[in-house]
Amino acid sequence: MKQEKRYPMNIVIDGKKVRARAGSTVLEAARKAGIDIPSMCRVGEKNSEVPCGLCVVEVEGRDGLVRACDTVVEEGMVVATRTEATAAYRKERLSDMARDHFGDCKAPCNLTCPGQINVQGYIAHVAKGQYEEALRLVMERNPFPFSVGRVCPRFCETRCRRILVDEPVSINHLKRFVADWCMANKIDLKIPKEPPTGKKVAVIGGGPAGLTGAYFLARKGHDVTVFEGEAKLGGMLRYGFPEYKIPKDVLDYEIATILRMGIAVRLNQRWGKDFTLQSLQDQGFDAILITIGSPVAERINIPGETNPGVMSAIEFLREINEGGARDYGRRAAVFGGNNIVMEAARSLIRSGVEEVTVIYPRSVTEMPANQRNIREAEKEGVQFLTAASPVQISQGEDGLEVELIRMRLGEPDARGNRHPEAIPGSTNIIHVDTVVHSLGQAAFDEKPAGALEEQLELTPKNNIKANPRTSLTNIPGIYAAGDSTSGPRSVIQAVVSARRAAENIHVQLDKNAVKVTESRFNFTRGRSFDDVDLRNFEGIKVKLREKMPERPPERAVQDFDEVKLGFTEKMARREAERCLSCGCNAYGRCDFKSRCIENGVDPNKTGQPKAPIYSRDYSHPAIAVDMNKCVFCQRCKNACEYDGLEITAGSFADNGRPRDISFRFTENCVSCGKCVDFCSTGALSKKDAIVPVVNEEVRDVRSTCPYCGAGCQIVLKVKGNTVMEVTADPEQAPNYGALCVKGRFGFNFIQHPDRLKTPLVRRGGQLVEASWDEALEEVAKRFFDLKAMYGPDSIAGFSCARCTNEENFLMQKFMRTAIGTNNIDHCARL
Amino acid sequence: MTNSIADIAEADVLFLIGSNADTGHPTIGLRLHQAADRGAKLIVVDPRQTAFARRADHWLQINPGTDVALLNAMCQVIIEDDLHDKEFVRKRTEDFDDLKKTVSRYTPEYASEITGVPADDIRAVARLYASPGKNSAIFYGMGLAHHATGTDNVKCVANLAMLCGKLGKPGCGVNPLRGQNNVQGACDMGALFNTLPGYTGLVSEETFEKYEKRWGVKLPRRPGRAATEVWDAIHEGDIRGLYIMGEDPVLADPNANHAVEALEKLDFLLVQDIFLTDTARMADVVLPAACYAEKDGTFTSTERRVQRVRKAVDPPGEARPDWQILCALAAKMGYRMHYDSAEEIFDEITEFIPQYRGMSYERIDRVGLQWPVPDKDHPGTPVLHVGKFVRGKGLFIPEDYTQPVELPDGDYPFILTTGREVAQYNFGSMTRKTPAIEELCPEALAEVNPSDAERMGIKDRDWLEITSRRGSIRIRAKVTDNSQEGTVFVPYHFVEAPVNRLTLNALDRLSRSPQYKICAVRIENLGADPDNKEKRAILTEN
Repeated sequence: MKQEKRYPMNIVIDGKKVRARAGSTVLEAARKAGIDIPSMCRVGEKNSEVPCGLCVVEVEGRDGLVRACDTVVEEGMVVATRTEATAAYRKERLSDMARDHFGDCKAPCNLTCPGQINVQGYIAHVAKGQYEEALRLVMERNPFPFSVGRVCPRFCETRCRRILVDEPVSINHLKRFVADWCMANKIDLKIPKEPPTGKKVAVIGGGPAGLTGAYFLARKGHDVTVFEGEAKLGGMLRYGFPEYKIPKDVLDYEIATILRMGIAVRLNQRWGKDFTLQSLQDQGFDAILITIGSPVAERINIPGETNPGVMSAIEFLREINEGGARDYGRRAAVFGGNNIVMEAARSLIRSGVEEVTVIYPRSVTEMPANQRNIREAEKEGVQFLTAASPVQISQGEDGLEVELIRMRLGEPDARGNRHPEAIPGSTNIIHVDTVVHSLGQAAFDEKPAGALEEQLELTPKNNIKANPRTSLTNIPGIYAAGDSTSGPRSVIQAVVSARRAAENIHVQLDKNAVKVTESRFNFTRGRSFDDVDLRNFEGIKVKLREKMPERPPERAVQDFDEVKLGFTEKMARREAERCLSCGCNAYGRCDFKSRCIENGVDPNKTGQPKAPIYSRDYSHPAIAVDMNKCVFCQRCKNACEYDGLEITAGSFADNGRPRDISFRFTENCVSCGKCVDFCSTGALSKKDAIVPVVNEEVRDVRSTCPYCGAGCQIVLKVKGNTVMEVTADPEQAPNYGALCVKGRFGFNFIQHPDRLKTPLVRRGGQLVEASWDEALEEVAKRFFDLKAMYGPDSIAGFSCARCTNEENFLMQKFMRTAIGTNNIDHCARL
Repeated sequence: MTNSIADIAEADVLFLIGSNADTGHPTIGLRLHQAADRGAKLIVVDPRQTAFARRADHWLQINPGTDVALLNAMCQVIIEDDLHDKEFVRKRTEDFDDLKKTVSRYTPEYASEITGVPADDIRAVARLYASPGKNSAIFYGMGLAHHATGTDNVKCVANLAMLCGKLGKPGCGVNPLRGQNNVQGACDMGALFNTLPGYTGLVSEETFEKYEKRWGVKLPRRPGRAATEVWDAIHEGDIRGLYIMGEDPVLADPNANHAVEALEKLDFLLVQDIFLTDTARMADVVLPAACYAEKDGTFTSTERRVQRVRKAVDPPGEARPDWQILCALAAKMGYRMHYDSAEEIFDEITEFIPQYRGMSYERIDRVGLQWPVPDKDHPGTPVLHVGKFVRGKGLFIPEDYTQPVELPDGDYPFILTTGREVAQYNFGSMTRKTPAIEELCPEALAEVNPSDAERMGIKDRDWLEITSRRGSIRIRAKVTDNSQEGTVFVPYHFVEAPVNRLTLNALDRLSRSPQYKICAVRIENLGADPDNKEKRAILTEN
């Protein structure tokens, strides 16, 4: 009855009967009934002076579309919120806005990273000193930050917009820094894990791909067992990268971190000998992921390749990494031009070989190895003999004789590629003691024995054939990822491939799981460097990148210790501060983006501005303003209860869009930040909230403001173990979304480095760190002594008006019971 | 508060005395401004020209510490004009004649001499406040309480409200704005020297027995000492051990040097805090505590609303929530005090404290409840004293005006008063770690009236040395008519200008609150460069 009195109107929205308050709008009535009518400008009772128009609906008996925000309900009204006409109109309105909206949703580094890691996010965490959170963010997508941080080809840095100002940000060194910092500080990342699903997954191969797959599957709650053929985990990270690139203790730590997710490991298990695909299925594994890498070296196919002293780079690096290095003589030749060749050459130098020559049929710039690796090899004295190819190796009196032939580029083939061809009669012989070659690798030379193995389809290059979208092989329930499907690639690419496979397996195993496909929706200030208008960088001062401290080559070649020493904390902070924060800090909360996606508006089709119109304004102490992103919803102004800002348009275009927007904070502004929380885009952002939330889970924790006695209700936005932001719920008493500057911005103290982290006890005049037990023991003893000598009233306690009720209650209880005095008080009077 | 924050919207007359809600309670200040925008009449009693004072319908720029005289005079006018709520007085109060007798001496003219407020202004605001049929709400802050006569001030406020029947209904009431997030709760919980939880005092044997039965230990009956009295007790050798949870008396206490000397004299000092405060540096043992975002619990706000605090992140290192530390320490002392969660403690609270009896974490999950909540179905109490007072009838307790303890004289010619800036909080250990806040309010400035400034040649940002009988600080000047002539205002957030070295530890005889708002100081102008000895010498000669 009461309900009917308060909500006397009967209306129908989208076929659903709804009761509404008399005088309320269709928009309000729909919201109350849980029906979402899109609206971007409505705040309370106010609209933008150019209403966004998204809330249009059709009302039976009325012509055309009406705005739900200013249509008052009438008895018996029938409303349709999702019709062809509303969809078309909404799309048109959003497209008009899109043509005025200038900015990047995601940063180019993030878009370029094969791992789709929130690069800008972890750089920002570093800039804020939140190293633990930075690592946690990397670990969302890449469980190998230590290794990748040392060997990544750094796709991201090639697209860093800072190149247009001076030099790219040293992104990869920052990743390594946070990993190393967390290791040095013994941080337990406490990566969350979902409850057990009861499903079992076998992973064959414990290299970067296998462990990545295992890590992500374990996080989803699956019971994972890794079958590794070797005595230790790590695959190519252990046996392919020498100690000076990835120190073994770092790798061990990294793997231990991954295994902490609760992954079972079975070592020395040879596929085809100790188990088969069938035997794994028989053991009850619901899915199998094959990640055996590319352990088989391609042959060189020239006479003499089996001579003693000739070996593949895989064999050679394995010897080195197992500590079995021997005398490789005075001179060595290395055939090939890939990254493995560079590591082999550098390892030969470290093994005492005086002359190491890399032999490659094309030029140095055409080598597939990363140019950075080539330069490092060169610095350490590796020589390069290019446009040459070995034709024969023979055992001479004084070591091996390698016969080479000069090569030149042939005529273009059908595709226009020019392949090297031998110049007849141009042979030449070099004398060496050792030959190492790396011309290519594959998953198999022959497949392991077994019935299912027989059926397993391979590619022409003897890798496993897997569907790139589903990671499935031709056998149901059996998946493959990493180098075993693609041939040798970078570590990050193996990680990505295995992560995708894990996602696919999870969706397969858990019928309720939804495969998250990442939206490709993106506004951009320019896809390529040429597209980016240089006015974007006005006012940014040149600040060159930090130089990675490294051991000089002449020292470095004397041993296998790490060459690059890592950034110090100060260097990392300075480097992180160079980030231009291209991606939008409002990524996680942008209404405009969600409405565009929802309504099928794509900035690539609508067109988007090419250059900024407005200068960004950082003059407010707490709020950054970028009017290039403003869609003129005026929610900022309509939300402000202080008259603290003005936003006006100089004129309006024919389609109603504003031109020459001017925005300013007035002298009434109290810096409470409510306008930012109401902004529909990233036009307003909190200067301190520089970490964009891309796809990471952010928890809303409702709490009470810790400052004055007003008891304002706040919402802490928490990612991992970090409070990212504080906001307030506009519907919640007693403050209804209002907060002061302290409430919304003053939360940095929570995770400030000056926080007390351990008990301190005074010893010899100094406060020194102590265990809880020692400290409490000391306190108890001193209180006992005082009680014994002077009585309980010789002790007093001050409770605290900032602590909780529960704590105040216990403090007085403690003083009255354990001590036995009423000398208990707090600062109510102060 | 007898009433609720939401109630502000229903008031016709807002009477602000000793509160600058814009800085102390910004979101409540916002509602007060909005009420005034909508047409509520605004009366502001404040020696300082705050934003509220500037927009008030009546601003009474009172001499500091003379509130009793003003309030008594208002009562006198109301009675003389026969504007008081006679039915309310008859039915719901007692000892009206005592009040009438006492206030009869306080004619507006007499009060004007004491307060410096024109007699006609006193008459006008008295009549406005008393307006029959209108809702008049009183709001007061530490400007009323932080005096040696703080409880007298508060009693006089209560007398005024009862006299006019402006209690027990929406839009009215006597509404203290409490300074700290949980000062209300700390008092409710009995973290007080003179009462067990729930304001039951230390007298009822029945109550003691109830606790003793539940807690299994004999409780002390001897009265305790107020925090502000502890320092003298230490100096006298009566108190030798001190356990400080989350307080920083080195910066916070009046006459801080006196407190520091006492801390040095202690046999044993235990400090439990989130930062190594100046007080913690003096401790024998420091225990690392969790902050509000790292634990579960409840705070009780100024409108008596009990609201949840929830754990959002882990405490740093080995820090632990205070309640867990207390339990561990009790265990070490041989007293078992074991709880698995904050909720368990809350359940014990609701068992003992009648005002909290009907509450549970479940009930306050979404929206907090305002006490008293006597049973599980009670919806909470947005307005206190509806129909009847807790003690039955409201008792008029008239008080006479007494002078503040330390008034200016020839040696110390200025009044020093202290307070808050909006962006900062207390001693800055929390707020001063946010760059935006530091940019908004980077330093302490002593607010000096322009005529004082002109007389002493003080320009904006000149360095001043402010000295009281107890200590001295250096601070830059801000010349502003926010400050009354003869008065200097200093915010207390900044360790760089620890103003409590100057303040006076004269205490209210009942509440033992110190007189933070008034002490006598002298001011020396050190000019733009305080280390310029030559200049200083010249100034001193003058």
